Amino acid sequence: MLYLGIDVGSVSTDLVLLDNDLQVVEKLYLRTRGNPIRAVQEGLRTLKERYRDEDVAACGTTGSGRQIASVLVGADAVKNEITAHAVAALELDRDVRTIIEIGGQDSKIILLRNGVVSDFAMNTVCAAGTGSFLDRQAERMGIPIEEFGDYALKAGMPVRIAGRCAVFAESDMIHKQQMGYNPADIIMGLCEALVRNYLNNVGKGKDIRPKVFFQGGVAANKGMKLAFERALGFEVIVPEHHKMMGAIGAAILAKDAVSRTGSTRFRGFALAEHRFESRGFECEGCANRCEVARIHENGREIGCFGDRCGKWSSRIASYPAKAGNM
Amino acid sequence: MKVGIPRGLLYDQYHPFFTRFFTELGAELAVSPPTNRAILDAGIQCCVDEACLPVKVFHGHVSCLKAQCDLLFIPRIMRLYRGEYICPKFCGLPEMVLNSIYGLPETITEPFYADSMAGLRKWALRAGARITRDRRRIKAALEAAIAEQLRFKTGYDDQGYPIRVALAGHPYNLYDTFINMNVRKKLNRLGIGVVTEESMDEEEMAPEVASLFKKPFWTFARKTYGFISASVAGKRVQGIVYVSSFACGIDSVILELVRDRIGDFPMLVLKIDEHTGEAGVDTRIEAFADMLERSGRVEDHHSPHGQRLSCCESPV
Repeated sequence: MLYLGIDVGSVSTDLVLLDNDLQVVEKLYLRTRGNPIRAVQEGLRTLKERYRDEDVAACGTTGSGRQIASVLVGADAVKNEITAHAVAALELDRDVRTIIEIGGQDSKIILLRNGVVSDFAMNTVCAAGTGSFLDRQAERMGIPIEEFGDYALKAGMPVRIAGRCAVFAESDMIHKQQMGYNPADIIMGLCEALVRNYLNNVGKGKDIRPKVFFQGGVAANKGMKLAFERALGFEVIVPEHHKMMGAIGAAILAKDAVSRTGSTRFRGFALAEHRFESRGFECEGCANRCEVARIHENGREIGCFGDRCGKWSSRIASYPAKAGNM
Repeated sequence: MKVGIPRGLLYDQYHPFFTRFFTELGAELAVSPPTNRAILDAGIQCCVDEACLPVKVFHGHVSCLKAQCDLLFIPRIMRLYRGEYICPKFCGLPEMVLNSIYGLPETITEPFYADSMAGLRKWALRAGARITRDRRRIKAALEAAIAEQLRFKTGYDDQGYPIRVALAGHPYNLYDTFINMNVRKKLNRLGIGVVTEESMDEEEMAPEVASLFKKPFWTFARKTYGFISASVAGKRVQGIVYVSSFACGIDSVILELVRDRIGDFPMLVLKIDEHTGEAGVDTRIEAFADMLERSGRVEDHHSPHGQRLSCCESPV
């Protein structure tokens, strides 16, 4: 039996399949590109070629797009990213006491004590130092993001970059470039600035103790790992599936949910070929004028999102349990 | 004569006083509707950018009311308790509004000192004179308004939930369900009841506040600090949810004082600003609920399975 976990984030949509021992047997890392439905469908289409519906014993969703994904695929568990990341990390190692997670648009710190979350924090309004910012800087410097970390490791003397704000950091970087510093020193300087920003912002006042797990897409950047280790003074562990930890957590939570309910609500891989359409409209029911997104599957409405009062989102209670070939 | 009262800032706390006062003087009232998107948008558009969200929302209420009244009441609340102040934005509120919104009717902006009878009387006579010349009527209206306010009870005190948290922050952030995305309802849905500072006697807060190195300067700081500290010390709640508007100076001080006092007691700080997307708030609240629920279970958990405590037992 396999357990499917889907993490629909701002930048990437990740799908994993776990086996009975909760080992990763399949992982897909896709770009969300502002269209969570299409990203999930793309993932299912790939999986469809190798697996049958019956293989999937449970399905869970997480990430900022977890609700929409859950309606789409029929999830057994819909969980926030904090809990999902914590569950996945604890499954790997019961002794983890701190999780640093930096994703596309947000960053988090999760403190674990005795196997449960004891405190957490997320970045507030500003997304400085997250994956999208690094992406942008890599693009601006003409260096593929995958090689960003290797560049950083080549740095002799990292330059100091202002890390408080992405806009300031960028202009500071440009100034340093204009003064002729080499790219490696600038990139490592940027990593150090982002780590400083993270520790003073998200990590402010938090008791960061080892073992520390560094998760999320940004953990692939070796420069960031090194900068964290220098700042903290101890080893920072990047788990093998660091990008997929949210999805892994969702799959584990789904497995648990099904062990209680007895059967999965997963609607099958055929969903990949269904025609989904999102039609937005402004509800005129009251002065709030909520922007409601209406999701249609093959012309049939399956769910609404974005209203405050529940007038639309609670309207559709049931959708087809299994996806047929319509 | 129609008096316009914007439903912003401390309206939720003091509307019995102000509405009764103006009604007693024979004025008709126009009150803006609860905050909605149009009001928020109008506020953001006309208010200075540096102001906090609740001040912007107040501007929105004013711009929604300005054509519906002959006399607009912009409270300049200076002091609520002796020896204390409230946020400086309240003292300068009329200037901010008058210089940001065009086409306003006549306004009442007299400074309001609520810490003494003399202060209240001074305000009443000045404000009331805009509506009537009958000083006796104004004094009677003040008495009636004070009595009305004293009868008024506000605040949340949810019963019957497995988990209870203290909901803290400035009242206009807690009771404006539009700007806080109805955080109480979201918590209730997850099985968490909330209690606010109005349900605690001031005497209970006093010893906590007295233990600070100096008496807080601001009324909001004193009350919020006292309420949170006393709730934690008295084991009345399992967690704190603090709703704070982005860039609030007073909150930045209160939060440091509170953190220092409560140590690692669970606290969630929700920063609110102009965004209307709820995903961020939902994620934080759900994660906080999970944390409270799971940590509660670990404490009295005697699982025969030994090591595997709670990580996979979540009721999804």
